[in-house]
Amino acid sequence: MASTFWDKITGFPVATASTAARPSRLEEEVVSLFDQLRVPILRYLLSFRIPAPDAEEIVQEVFLLLFQHLRQGKSAANLQGWVFKVAHNLALKHRTRTRRYADRFSHLPDLSEVAGNVTPGPDERMEVIERQQRLLAVVRAMPEQDQCCLSLRAEGLRYRDIAEVLGMSLGSVANSLERSLSRLSRADY
Amino acid sequence: MPHENVHLSDRDLIMAADGELSSRRKAQVVAHLDACWSCRERMGSIETTISGFVRARNQELNDSLPSSAGPRALLRARLAEALASTAAPRAIWRLAPAASIFFTVLAAIAIIFGTTVNAEGPKPKAGLTPGETRPITIDEICRNPQAEVITVNIPEETRRKVFSEYGIDARADSFEVDYLITPDLGGAQSIRNLWPQPYGARWNAHVKDKLEQRLHQLVCEGKVDLTTAQHDIAVDWIGAYKKYVGASVPR
Repeated sequence: MASTFWDKITGFPVATASTAARPSRLEEEVVSLFDQLRVPILRYLLSFRIPAPDAEEIVQEVFLLLFQHLRQGKSAANLQGWVFKVAHNLALKHRTRTRRYADRFSHLPDLSEVAGNVTPGPDERMEVIERQQRLLAVVRAMPEQDQCCLSLRAEGLRYRDIAEVLGMSLGSVANSLERSLSRLSRADY
Repeated sequence: MPHENVHLSDRDLIMAADGELSSRRKAQVVAHLDACWSCRERMGSIETTISGFVRARNQELNDSLPSSAGPRALLRARLAEALASTAAPRAIWRLAPAASIFFTVLAAIAIIFGTTVNAEGPKPKAGLTPGETRPITIDEICRNPQAEVITVNIPEETRRKVFSEYGIDARADSFEVDYLITPDLGGAQSIRNLWPQPYGARWNAHVKDKLEQRLHQLVCEGKVDLTTAQHDIAVDWIGAYKKYVGASVPR
């Protein structure tokens, strides 16, 4: 089988049109991709403030769509980007549906709570926690698109993949990351 | 000392750190960094900020991650189900004569005893939401193989107007304003293509999503023409679901 982009970046062979006729193998491939990408996608969805059970359900939906996508013999190039794009779109749909509840969501453990649970220890530990609180507060105050860029970059996506997932130009991705890191830098010192 | 007054921009430094510069520009940046302590210090502080952010983010989010064993097993079951549901028609086809007799008898019994099944759920009002399309070609619809899901945000003002037309309290939490003909199939961003869809109905937005994905697939495979798909989803989306998804009840 000719190597694909995915083969090159992960060493993992993915389905092509020729494997569409062997669904059991395809199932294994999709499950393997699930094992590799579930946590990064979950983290991305959680950064949207989507509750963990809903995020888990979206991940399931993403991989079912991936299964259908590969089964139809569609392109297996850059599946990481494909999976994040579909997850991003489903996250937007989810948020549209729960828009009226969105402001009430506060499922994520706030680091202030974490700080409260920490047994008083060395000053350095408290400094680390305060710094993390400060950085996360800055991120939460950023425009949503900047938050998405930052999250996708943190999950290892290259600029071209981020641009594809968010429907932006490469230049806009670079601008967004520059703006975000500049804000984080100012809060960091 | 070279580059005394011309330091690298943050953008160059970030793109260099991310490996996103062209090879020519990268060589220039590396050469500058070799010579310029100020830019190296700046580069170091950018890397420190990135690592601080990543550590904070991972600590916050990783605590919320459920274990993978359950979800993995669930995905396997769903993949098996997806395979079975597409394999099933061939097996069922052999039973078609017997099945048709069975369902005819069942239908007759239902008619005789006046049994009705009222589980359709609310439908869009044709007068308010006939469904409206925009000019679009098959190529445009199918150009991006990744377009399984297309989301177009609906402005709050439009949402309120839709609620008003349908006589629903705009503060209602139990409705989603949804496109009747999805933009994925050439639906227009027009109020005549929007309706308030209840979350709680048996035939809800999640079910309609499955129909939309199926129709997109059929249109792009050339098995259903676009006009038919738009017409069928606009006139009776539940009927279209039964017809194209092949299930009489929501999956």
